[in-house]
Amino acid sequence: MTMPSFLLAAEHTSLAAAMRGELGWEWLFPIVETLHVISLAMVFGSIVMVDLRLVGAASRNSAVSRLSGEVLPYTWSAFICAAITGTLLFVSKAHVYFYNLQFQLKFLCMFLAGVNMAVFHFGAYRHVLDWDERHPPPRAARLAGALSIALWIGVIFFGRWIGFTT
Amino acid sequence: MRVTHHWADWIASTALSGWLQNEAWVVPTSQSIHIVSVSVVFCCAVMISLRLLRVSASGRSVSQLVDTLVPWMYRALAALLLTGLVQIVAEPVRQFVAPVFWWKMLMIIGVLALTVCFARAVRRNAARWDTAARPARAKWFALISLGLWVGIIFCGRFIGYTWELYL
Repeated sequence: MTMPSFLLAAEHTSLAAAMRGELGWEWLFPIVETLHVISLAMVFGSIVMVDLRLVGAASRNSAVSRLSGEVLPYTWSAFICAAITGTLLFVSKAHVYFYNLQFQLKFLCMFLAGVNMAVFHFGAYRHVLDWDERHPPPRAARLAGALSIALWIGVIFFGRWIGFTT
Repeated sequence: MRVTHHWADWIASTALSGWLQNEAWVVPTSQSIHIVSVSVVFCCAVMISLRLLRVSASGRSVSQLVDTLVPWMYRALAALLLTGLVQIVAEPVRQFVAPVFWWKMLMIIGVLALTVCFARAVRRNAARWDTAARPARAKWFALISLGLWVGIIFCGRFIGYTWELYL
């Protein structure tokens, strides 16, 4: 199936019709969007907690591995909620979002944030016990933390801009 | 509601508001910073509340969480206040005619008072809050503040969807 026909098929599902308010629930879209905001708030807030620790700006009295272990379960559960609510928002007007520049930039930022996380996880983090409580943290960790903060702020900015450009 | 309409019209007529209205990037940028900031506050509030409700049993103690997270909540709240003011001055009518805006303001006052009292109580007697026998009101603080924050985010997002109904 080609991309345009896939997008149209997604828009023609009854789920997408419900999200557009065509089945009578006109408040469904704003409610799902608010749940998306609540989920992304947990994703961003929890990621930034770990990132600020990696940069060396906060939670200096917690070891990096301990803080990640405590916070990342929040991140992943919230990410699943954000992905589900995000998919619901997307199918309502799939082709509009897919070809929207801000939407594309948002996903580029998320992809780069994922790459950054993978590089860090399979790089500096493998030896985390060597620098768990060191101040300042090693350069690779500080770089990963700073990049992550910048990219996730990008995700939020472009995400908010989608609403002004579609 | 009439009085608040007058306030809105007066704010909209100021030079500052006129300038903000003419710069198309101001409101989206301010809203984005607002979302970044509310994420920090909300995430901190959820972590403290779930710790108090014992949903998350591991990790730092209640007093450690309060010492680390509450200062970040206050910083983010300052950014929320600033960007919120920008949005009010740039689009006063949109905010003041929407009942959800006033509900949001009420809930903010409530959750602020609650959080300040809670943080002070924990700082006064940290040991008491870190044991399993912490005050029973801890559970109520957690539930009420979670409810208020979720309500605040709902009302905030619904200003944009409802204000035109009240023109």
